Amino acid sequence: MSGGLRALGLTAALLLSTGCMRPSEDRAVRDTRVGRAEADALKVEVEGGLASVRTLASGTLELWGQAPVFTTRVTAAADARTDWLFTVHNAMPGAELVAVDGAGSPLDVVALPDAHPTVKAWRVALRPGTDMRLTVAPPDWDTREPFRFAALADVQEALSKVGDVYAKLNQDPSLRFIFFAGDLTEFGTREQLEEFQQRLEADSRIPLYATLGNHETFTDDAREYQRLVGRASQHFTFHGVHFSLVDSGSSTVDPLVEEALDGWLEEARDAVHVVAMHIPPLDPIGVRGGGFAVRNEAAGLVGKMARAGVDLTLYGHIHSYYSFSNAGIPAFISGGGGAIPERFDGVGRHFLAVDVDPSAGVREVGLVRVD
Amino acid sequence: MGHGRPVWSARATFAVGLGLWLASGAAWAQDGGGWRSAFDLLASGPELGGSDIPRDVPARRGSDASVVPPEVMARVLTEEGPRPVPTASAEGPVVAPEAPDAAPDALEAGRVSEPRVRLVEDAPRPPFKVAPVAVAVVPGLLLHGLGAWTAGDTQTAKGLFAAEAIGLGLIGAGLVPIALTGASRKTIGPLYAVTLTGAGVFSLSMLANLYAVTSPAFDPGRVPDTLPPLELDLGYQYVNDATADYRNFFALGAVARLSKVQLQASARLAPDEGNTLIRAGAAYRLWGAPERTLGLDGDGTSLDVEGFATYHRYPTEGFTLGGGEVALKGRYAMARFGPRFAGSFVEGGVGVSAQAYSYPGRVDDDNLYGQLLYTFGYGVWLGRGGPLRGEAVLFYDHRKDGLVGGLRGRGGGMVGSFGLKGRVLVTERWGVAAEAQAGGALMGRLSLVYAVGGDT
Repeated sequence: MSGGLRALGLTAALLLSTGCMRPSEDRAVRDTRVGRAEADALKVEVEGGLASVRTLASGTLELWGQAPVFTTRVTAAADARTDWLFTVHNAMPGAELVAVDGAGSPLDVVALPDAHPTVKAWRVALRPGTDMRLTVAPPDWDTREPFRFAALADVQEALSKVGDVYAKLNQDPSLRFIFFAGDLTEFGTREQLEEFQQRLEADSRIPLYATLGNHETFTDDAREYQRLVGRASQHFTFHGVHFSLVDSGSSTVDPLVEEALDGWLEEARDAVHVVAMHIPPLDPIGVRGGGFAVRNEAAGLVGKMARAGVDLTLYGHIHSYYSFSNAGIPAFISGGGGAIPERFDGVGRHFLAVDVDPSAGVREVGLVRVD
Repeated sequence: MGHGRPVWSARATFAVGLGLWLASGAAWAQDGGGWRSAFDLLASGPELGGSDIPRDVPARRGSDASVVPPEVMARVLTEEGPRPVPTASAEGPVVAPEAPDAAPDALEAGRVSEPRVRLVEDAPRPPFKVAPVAVAVVPGLLLHGLGAWTAGDTQTAKGLFAAEAIGLGLIGAGLVPIALTGASRKTIGPLYAVTLTGAGVFSLSMLANLYAVTSPAFDPGRVPDTLPPLELDLGYQYVNDATADYRNFFALGAVARLSKVQLQASARLAPDEGNTLIRAGAAYRLWGAPERTLGLDGDGTSLDVEGFATYHRYPTEGFTLGGGEVALKGRYAMARFGPRFAGSFVEGGVGVSAQAYSYPGRVDDDNLYGQLLYTFGYGVWLGRGGPLRGEAVLFYDHRKDGLVGGLRGRGGGMVGSFGLKGRVLVTERWGVAAEAQAGGALMGRLSLVYAVGGDT
């Protein structure tokens, strides 16, 4: 009896402590399941979780891309159908599909007309009983040419007028994609996230690669986000530049995510590396305390990124524009997506235009006003 | 190993104590005929710093004595000369008749709170009732005067309702502008302080409501007459932070009480991991009795200005923090608010800190990070005039640095930490200090305290 009570008490204390101390642990665990599905005698796994599986049924495989380049491993059972419609939303304009089987032999692929600049579809003839790889990428993805991308965050309740932001983004044809630092929606409900994606697809000519914000966690701890959009934390490369999106939506980085980040930092040690997260580790306005809940964790994290040679950190959460440095890394807070703006700052809705040279680093970060 | 020996666990001790308190029926004590509970008898015994000599005998439960509010009785007892008889009207509150020829000085002398509250403490105390305690929890946690109101103490109830309303009002007065200004960098400091003040007043009135209805069940503690000029403490601290490697710390501390100045220093050393926190500073008493003669010259109410310097080395994380802070800290003896609150106090503090991080190697950071410091808490004094003396406080701390930090959660790190801390001298020389705190990390500490020097 006493032993049972002791065990019960210990379990309760353990659950209580872990629940309070690692609020984003479940999200980190669920991240590992993003991009995986199995149905219709087909097993699908997106490498790195760089796309979420929206549909896998009746000969249709539909993904929401979360990176300019990603590869999907497909295993077809012997009784799998051969004719599949492969659709990728949030793809780079001009993205192409390269489909090969395990031996490197190409599969038959027929590209379908684009419904939107960021929606791509192909008819693919899969081979039952084999493993295949489907890689979606723009033709120039592995060059080392300089390029420009946009940084944006915090749309939230301004979702109905986010089209203004996309219209301004569309005016700059050199922007390749939007690097989004969280808070797509007000509460992260399925309806709001679907509306966000529909508006993005309808109004923007370039894709948007995001991490979640604390507002996405308000609904079911961001499960809908992970179903519809993708991983809370992920890493990809484009033109040799490394991009890491880190889940800091609970004002902390879970040890599981930090472990993954350690790998990404090591991988990008000799390359240009841009890291984005929603809540900044350290709020430059200290009395506001809009950063991490534990400053020591924040200081340790930015120090680690600095030692690994991170070139640029991008944050959201604070609905204004700040240019500062953390542990010597150039840092920008750009929460100009339209959420309740910070007053008296002289900055309204805005985004950043970031010029990157894979051989030289981050060249310039410019503020672009929307209103 | 405990073979063949009954196990007397802390849980059992707690259960017996709780049972004594909750289930204690009225006992007939050998003190002249008053009804006293078993818990009363135990609590007022010499083992816990009380006296075997009976104090004022509480009125027998259900007697008519309780119709006279304790505030009125206290005022009557403090006045010189023949005591006027309190009168009660059928509709209005019970009032103490004014002495027709009372001089202003005499009226002033009738104040409950000056210079000390002993007279109030010695006044008849309201009887303990179970129903107000239940009401103080539900729905009293939301309606803060309800416990006292159920106990028949409308004056106290009004005060608590007013405090709750003020707290909510301040929260609104802070939060609404914060929302409207989008937490503007130009206004966030004072608005945040107003919001936290509101949260503090709201929380403390909630705790005061609970204390007001439970305090009649025990003999309240007293402000220590004196405290030693120097106290040293040594103990163990455990920290569980999911993002950090350190766990075990040596905890060292020292407090030197001079006249109006108090010097403090503390260190936390993780022997295996190397984390080192050193904090030192001083507090100057702007108002209230010096700590050395806290109870002799005052009722525990005080206001201090304090300054501290911090050095915190994180070898595993690879940085060192250095900084300074200034703050105003105040404490208010709740007996001034009403006799039901005798033995308790509220405290709060507001200040700012500035900190910088240094990183080894080629990493360079020249930022100075500010921080709003804000604390509030509800505490009780421990001991009743004997050698046992100290205090325990349930508190909120808004700071995000240190080993605990703020609560991690979906709100974005806006909330600080909560804790319970106590420090008590058990004998003239020896005592214990303990604290538990929950923020981003969980922390627990237990220290042995050694007092140097005697009473004044």
